[in-house]
Amino acid sequence: MKKPNLKDRKFGADEVDICIVGAGAAGGVLAHDLAKTGLSVVLIEAGPFWDPQNDFASDELAMSTLGWEDTVLVTGATPLTMGQNNTGRGVGGGTVHFTGVFLRFHESDFKVKTRDGVADDWPISYSDLAPYYDRLEKEIAVSGPKHFPWGQFHGPYPYPEREPTSTNAMLFRQGCEKLGVKSTVTPLAIISAPFDGRPPCINRGFCNQGCMPNSKFSTLIQHIPKAIGYGAEVLSDCMVTQIEVDDRSGRVTGVVFVHDGVEYRQKSKVVILANFVVQMPRLLLASTTAKYPQGLANSSGLVGKGIMPHSSQDVYARFDQEVRLYKGTPVLASTLDFYETDKQRGFVRGYTIHAHGSRPVAMARGIANSAKLWGLGLRQMMLDFNYYARATLVGEVLPDLANTVTLADEQDEYGLPRPIVTFSYGQNDQKLIDHGVAKMKEILSAAGGKPEYVTQDTAHLMGGCRMGNDPETSVTDQWGRTHDHENLYLAGAPLFVTGGGTNPTATVMALAARTADHLIAEAKRGMLGQLTR
Amino acid sequence: MAEQSHYPHYDVMDEAEAWDDHTRDVVRKRLAPNGNFSFLTSQEAKTLAKIVATLTDDERSEIISYILSYIDQRLQSKIGESERKVGIPKEADLIRNGLALIDTVAKSSAGQEFASLTLQERQTILGNLERQQLPVPWPDKGFPQKELFNKLLRLAVESYYSHPLVWSEIGHGGPAYPRGYVRTEPGLLDPWEAKAEE
Repeated sequence: MKKPNLKDRKFGADEVDICIVGAGAAGGVLAHDLAKTGLSVVLIEAGPFWDPQNDFASDELAMSTLGWEDTVLVTGATPLTMGQNNTGRGVGGGTVHFTGVFLRFHESDFKVKTRDGVADDWPISYSDLAPYYDRLEKEIAVSGPKHFPWGQFHGPYPYPEREPTSTNAMLFRQGCEKLGVKSTVTPLAIISAPFDGRPPCINRGFCNQGCMPNSKFSTLIQHIPKAIGYGAEVLSDCMVTQIEVDDRSGRVTGVVFVHDGVEYRQKSKVVILANFVVQMPRLLLASTTAKYPQGLANSSGLVGKGIMPHSSQDVYARFDQEVRLYKGTPVLASTLDFYETDKQRGFVRGYTIHAHGSRPVAMARGIANSAKLWGLGLRQMMLDFNYYARATLVGEVLPDLANTVTLADEQDEYGLPRPIVTFSYGQNDQKLIDHGVAKMKEILSAAGGKPEYVTQDTAHLMGGCRMGNDPETSVTDQWGRTHDHENLYLAGAPLFVTGGGTNPTATVMALAARTADHLIAEAKRGMLGQLTR
Repeated sequence: MAEQSHYPHYDVMDEAEAWDDHTRDVVRKRLAPNGNFSFLTSQEAKTLAKIVATLTDDERSEIISYILSYIDQRLQSKIGESERKVGIPKEADLIRNGLALIDTVAKSSAGQEFASLTLQERQTILGNLERQQLPVPWPDKGFPQKELFNKLLRLAVESYYSHPLVWSEIGHGGPAYPRGYVRTEPGLLDPWEAKAEE
């Protein structure tokens, strides 16, 4: 691990142009784009600066440290599993442990209110993000099919699709084929051929434990090293505990952060929070002043409201022949045939299904927990580990203002209130899950398997600081600028108005790149962090 | 369901020299757990050992002592719990008080501490714990039995399925860096992978 040198900070007491909190998918892209244009950038990250070849291991248990393990309190009818399930910690953030699935949202995702009469529309549309999806897919050499059957982008992807795939992916596609369901090799941010000094994937299979050969993209190995090359400073192992604001002007002045028990400050013309769905509302809500007793950026009262995971049930089906779920990249085949609203199904919105590999800990833990299988039953089931195939749902969950991040009385080691994450599924969500689970069972049955276990799970997090045009019903504008503070920006998944029915990383990065372009344009006209002269 | 391993002659550790140093170190340490505990008392360790043996259906001492050392390390570490339900005690308190409660119930219902009970008696107690139906003395009526069960099951299962002896039995190929997997299509195996023997 690289250690930050706090004694000799690059910018020290100087005010920088840009201070970014959180070095994940969004923060990495922002640091890269803004440093490249010549702005002075400091990127502050709570976790370590990983060295993949020495800090990572091919081991599920040892690599749980890639998740945000600091305790989050959870409640609601269906309390969320946190940590590595949805939140990264360390430089690269969630991109270090994500499966590499790199799919765009569809046009319909930005117009849910208009099309389906529920939730809200985004203040932007697909066409606003399309150029950024284009750019990012090339920038990280997404490897995918020549033709992609769904949504607005039909390929070809910059790099060829992954080949060979895996037994699990091939069985899944055979099942789809028998049912007349379209399927494809999944577009992945995992390279199929050499790119930018990185070797192609070796099918090691531990994408969720951190890629060791550097074949999977992460901002840890892609955007952040380049950002440093352009002059950005990365302060890892530094926990931001407060955003400082001038009560008279409403402008933020910088952040307070702690390293090894010592408090430091970074002054900045613009502060961008890119610290994800739980820590972002927590930091805003905890940064109170006399003028802002409800926390920063919170005149709407919506900071921390409307968080959304994806429903992510798994179906395990037993086959007569070996499948060997551990072999190779976990996600290599997908269908988005059930993505768009179909009124006949009795619910709105839709989902993606992936063929999804697994390793022993995830499989045993998931089935033990959901099926309450233990003792002899669990041990005998796991003796057939190699005979199971698995499919996984990524289902849209509608935003509900009752699903929240709030502050607890209990404090953490920094004296900050711990976050409470409240989550319950709604009726539409539950109907969607039932449909998706039935469909996964059909597909694996058609492939010759016998569905035996369904595990209850969620993936990803979005929302909680949603973007919009009306300051009364949203936290930021369409660029991520908070309605309440002209030089405080928010970036990444918390801005999502709705969650879409597929993996969010491509959209998180596209949104961040769009905010970066906006800031670059503002800087060019001398208006960085200023609405009026 | 299988009654025995499909791969009785496979040992995942035969390939340990092909792994990177860090991974090899992480996995090898599981084979030689340090028997000293810094959180668990010897009575707690005794009770916990029988609980995890019941949950995993495995009495092998080398595996059980690794699971105990994993849990012990976790309970004394400052790393968080990832998530904790509102109103549920902190992990270390939940387990410490829970182990004492299980022993109390064992003594009152079967006249002996948990570790001295038969497998069937242990299964009954854990089954009741899972359903929040353990007959506990009145001051403990509100004890979150189900949460304790879920926590114990999770810790036991995630460490059990991280032990290389268990990987070998289930035919898990294990770590694969820097080598990777080459033959991934149906029916193809890399030469060092487990081969089913039925």
